[in-house]
Amino acid sequence: MPNDVTAVIQRRARELLSSGQVVMLLGYRPGRSSAQPAFITRPEDASLLVFDQSCGPNLAAFLPKVKHLGRIGVVAKGCDSRSIVLLLQEHQLRREDVFILGVGCNGVLQDSRLSDSCQTCQFPNPVIYDELIGEPAAASGQLKAAGGQQSADSGQRWQWFKNEVSRCIRCYACRQVCPSCYCPICFVDTTMPSWVGRTTRLSDNMLFHIIRALHMAGRCVECGACSRACPMAIDLMSLNRKVSQIVKERFGHIAGLRAEEKPPLTVFDPDDRQEFII
Amino acid sequence: MSEMQEFEPRIVAFLCNWCSYAGADLAGISRIQYPPSIRVIRVPCSGRVDPLFILKALQNGADGVLVSGCHPGDCHYLTGNYVARRRFAVLHDLLEFCGIEPGRVSFSWVSAAEGERFAEVVREVTERIRKLGPNRRMNAE
Repeated sequence: MPNDVTAVIQRRARELLSSGQVVMLLGYRPGRSSAQPAFITRPEDASLLVFDQSCGPNLAAFLPKVKHLGRIGVVAKGCDSRSIVLLLQEHQLRREDVFILGVGCNGVLQDSRLSDSCQTCQFPNPVIYDELIGEPAAASGQLKAAGGQQSADSGQRWQWFKNEVSRCIRCYACRQVCPSCYCPICFVDTTMPSWVGRTTRLSDNMLFHIIRALHMAGRCVECGACSRACPMAIDLMSLNRKVSQIVKERFGHIAGLRAEEKPPLTVFDPDDRQEFII
Repeated sequence: MSEMQEFEPRIVAFLCNWCSYAGADLAGISRIQYPPSIRVIRVPCSGRVDPLFILKALQNGADGVLVSGCHPGDCHYLTGNYVARRRFAVLHDLLEFCGIEPGRVSFSWVSAAEGERFAEVVREVTERIRKLGPNRRMNAE
């Protein structure tokens, strides 16, 4: 029995595809344990679409890969819409490339529990859309300090960090699902020079995870796709939240809210705090 | 190395061509003494320094890293050091969060006229790293 939102998404997908307003509709279809991305191009396939709390993947991650086809319709939760704004800010997408069907989100379930990232969600509703489907969701996110593991002792923080990253098997699933990771050649894949060793030794893993987190600075919308994709359950969200918190405190920037804003690490303020400089 | 021996840190210093490298030159021609702990890498601008360079140096045996550029407002390329400052700020706070000892990575502004200041910065950074001891957390070996 399809819920209301599902029914409206199906109907609008059919209309948009039949009228030729979009060439593809990017939405969700049922999967084995959670919903999976659906790339619908024929109006008659629109009935495959669903929307419920199992719809985890951040669909914005696919937009740079399919935008060459023409205008894409996309179903966007709060976090997905922020990713779209980020792509607009970084000129990876033009506004006219996408038709956004915004949906309020009550959080994504992972193993029938509310996903970690959704527990701290501040933006359950789309920040940009062409059409809002269903009712806006109530913001329920509790702000959580970046990493509950943040201990006062440097040695303990080190133990936590070591414990997390030493499990990494370097499958790069976190990168693959991330809407902010669109570089044609990732720094971990370069061979001349080979910046990051390919082994899973601690020092290579640390280098990878610190740089991955740095590349998220001012760019992570905290959708939690990386954490959910990680087969080793590494606490990637703590690192992401930390960099977001640093950027917010130092530069007053929150990722993916306004398309006309410049990415915070490409601009500066002459009066930026520099207490860390000798 | 036995713990009894005095530990002599190996520090990689990324110096910008226009200010800090010239500052180091001035320290040299003025015969100012400072510890022989730094290995200088000349870069066009502090904005050229990617955090990856810093971590890579630590991974490959450096006990500490110093990045030094022109004072804010004096950048040869006008704004390179301002942008670098934002990047370093995030790196600095993140390394602290990850439990990499504070002080392993240092940043400073040294102009071409500040030979004495350059020597002072190197003394300070060397002392800091000497207190921390060899870099074991990030080192690949």
